[in-house]
Amino acid sequence: MTAEGRTVPWTTAGLLVLLLGLVVLSLLVGTGSSSAGRAWDFITGDAAARGDAQIRLAVMDVRLPRTIAALLVGTCLGAAGCLLQAATRNPLAETGLLGVNSGAAFAVVLGLTFFGADSPGALLVWALSGGMAASAVVLLFAGSGRTAGSPLRLVLAGSALGATFHGCTSYVLLGTRSTFDTYRYWTIGSLAGVEISDLVPLLPLVALGLLVALGCARPLSALGLGDDGARSLGHHPGRIRLVVAGAVSLLAGCAVAVAGPIAFLGLLAPYAARALTGPRMTAQLVLSAVIAADIMIVADILARIVIRPWETPVSVLLAFVGGPLLVWIARSDRLSTAGGTA
Amino acid sequence: MTDVTPPDSTVLRTGTLSWLLPRRSALAAVLLVPLIAVLIALAVMASSTGMSLSETVSGLLGTGDPGTVMIVRDFRLPRIFAGLMVGAALGIAGCLTQTLAGNRLATPDLVGVNDGATAAVVAAAAGSTTGMVGDWWLGPIGAAAAAVVVVLCAGGAGSAGYRVLVAGIGVSTFIGAVSDLIMSRENDNTAGGVFLWAVGSLNGRDWGVGTPLALVLLFLVPLALAVGHRLQLLRFDDDMAASLGVDLRRLRAGALALAVALAGTAVGVGGPIAFVALAAPVLAQRLAGPTRVPITGSALAGAALIAAADALGRVAAPVELPVGVVTSVLGGPFLLWVLFRPDRATGKA
Repeated sequence: MTAEGRTVPWTTAGLLVLLLGLVVLSLLVGTGSSSAGRAWDFITGDAAARGDAQIRLAVMDVRLPRTIAALLVGTCLGAAGCLLQAATRNPLAETGLLGVNSGAAFAVVLGLTFFGADSPGALLVWALSGGMAASAVVLLFAGSGRTAGSPLRLVLAGSALGATFHGCTSYVLLGTRSTFDTYRYWTIGSLAGVEISDLVPLLPLVALGLLVALGCARPLSALGLGDDGARSLGHHPGRIRLVVAGAVSLLAGCAVAVAGPIAFLGLLAPYAARALTGPRMTAQLVLSAVIAADIMIVADILARIVIRPWETPVSVLLAFVGGPLLVWIARSDRLSTAGGTA
Repeated sequence: MTDVTPPDSTVLRTGTLSWLLPRRSALAAVLLVPLIAVLIALAVMASSTGMSLSETVSGLLGTGDPGTVMIVRDFRLPRIFAGLMVGAALGIAGCLTQTLAGNRLATPDLVGVNDGATAAVVAAAAGSTTGMVGDWWLGPIGAAAAAVVVVLCAGGAGSAGYRVLVAGIGVSTFIGAVSDLIMSRENDNTAGGVFLWAVGSLNGRDWGVGTPLALVLLFLVPLALAVGHRLQLLRFDDDMAASLGVDLRRLRAGALALAVALAGTAVGVGGPIAFVALAAPVLAQRLAGPTRVPITGSALAGAALIAAADALGRVAAPVELPVGVVTSVLGGPFLLWVLFRPDRATGKA
C-alpha cells in the first residue's frame, strides 16, 4: 500500500465526521423565528424545547425531511457517478448520460401538460418512472447487438437518446406556456417542501442500488485492467456494464425524482474521490458518495440562508459551490493526474 | 524505393508538388456536396403553406408572383444560408474538441461556449426594458468571454486539452447557474423568449446575419483545415511530436481557440442547437474511415444536418418547430442507426 493509500481511511473518516456535523447544522439552521439555540435544545432532548410545538415543526417537519433528502440525493449521485465513470472508462461521463435526467424531465412535462400532475408527490412519481423508463431504453440499445455493453456504445446510446427526450420536452414546452412555468421551477431543483412520506418509498430502491453498487466494486476493478484483462479473470465486461448501468439508473432516478435533474454532482464527486483514493474501486465508491452528500448538504444549508427569508434553488448553489471546486481540482497537478486523464 | 503510400490514399503529382489524397474521405466529401444541394432545394420548397416545384423555381428566378419571390429570396434563402454556415461551424468545432480530448463526449459547449452565450442573451433580455431577446452578436461575445474565463481558470491550455474541459464544465455550471437565477426572477414573457432562443432556432435569420457569419468562416475554415491536418500528430506523444518539429502545446491552444471561435459564432447566430457538434464529427469519421481528423467531412455533415432539420421543422408540425428541437429529437435515433450498423470496412460498431 502506498503512503497515499494509507491516508484514505483517515480521509474517509474525516469526511464522515464532517457529514455528521453538517447534518446537525442542517437541523439547526433555517428560516423563521426558531433560533439555532432552541433547535439545539430540542435535539439534545431538553424537555421545554420538546414541548414547544413551533420548534418541533421547524426541526421535525421542515428541516429533518430536507436533510434526509439531501443525504439521499448526494449519496445516490456520488455512488452512481462513480460507477458510471468506471464502467465507461470515461471521466466526463455523468449520471444524466443514461437518459435518466432527460427521461425524468420529459415525464414531468407530460404529467404537467396532459395529466394534471401538480403536487410535489405526483411530480416525484412521474420523474422517477420517466427516468427509469428512459434508462431502460438506453440499456436495451446498449445491450443489444454484437458489441453489447461496450463503453462507447453505452456512452453514445445515452447521449443520443438523452438528446431525443430533451427535444421532445422542448417540443411540448414550446406549445404550452403554463407547463413551461412550472417546469422551469422544477428543473432548477429545490429540496424545500420535501416530505418524509415522499422519501420513504424511495428508500428500498436506494438501498438496492447501493448494494448492487458495492457488489460491482470488485468486477469494476477488474474492468480497470481492460476488457481482455477482466475476461481473463473470469468476468464478463458487457454483463458487468449492464448491471452497473441498471444500478446507476436506479440511484440517479431516485435523486432526480427528489431534487430535479442535478447532473453535475455525479461528475464532480467521483472526480474528487478518484483524486483522493487512487484506483481502488470500493474506496472510490464510498468516498464519492460521502463527498457528494457533504456537498449536497452544504448547498442545501446555503440555499436556506443566502437570501433569507427566501429560498435559493439548490442546484444554483450546488453550481456555485461545486464549479470552483471542480476548477480547483482540475488545476491542482497532483489531484488532476490522480483523477485520471482519459 | 518502397511504396509508403497509406493503403487508402492516392498520391497526386504535378511536377515537384505532390499531395496525398485520402480516397475514402474525398469520396465522402464528393457525395455529401450533392446531398447538401438536394437538401437546399428541399429546404427552399419546404413550408407549412405548401409550395410547388414550379413556384419555387419561379421564386428563385424572380419571375413568380412578388409574394413568392419575397418569401424565397428574402426569407428562405438567407435563413438556409445562415443554417449551413452554423452547421459547418458547429461540425468543425466539435471535430476539433473531440480530437483534442480524445473523447467523443467532448463537445465545444463543455468549454463554456453555450452557457456563456446564453448568459449574455439572458442578461441582455433581463436588463432591457422590453424584456426582449437582444441582438445576435451578444452570443459570440458571451461565448468568447466564457471561453477566456475557462482557459484562465484552467491555467492556460495545459499539457493536454483535458484540463481545460474539466475546468470548462466547472465554469459552465457556474455561469449556467447565474442564468438560471436571473431567469427564475424574470417574468413569463422574457423567460419564454429566452427559452425559444436557448432551444436553438434559425427563425428570422437574414442576410444581415448570414453575411458576417460567412466572412468569419472564410477566415476560420482554412485555419481549421491546417490545424486539423497537424492534429493527426496527437496520436504521438509530446516527445515524438517535438522531434517532428511540432510544438504540441501551441497546436492544442490554437485548435482550442479555433473551436471556441467557431462554436461561439454559431451559437450566437442560431442559439445552442443541440447535438450537431457531437454527431457531425462522428458521422464524418464513419464516412472518412479511421485515423484521420475529418474537418471537411464534419463541416459538410454539420451543414447537412442543420439544413435538413430546419426544413423538416417547417413542415413536420402545424406549428413551426425550431431547428434545435428537430436536431435533438431526430439526431439521436439517426446517430444510433449510423453507429450500430456494423461497419463492413472496419468491422467495428
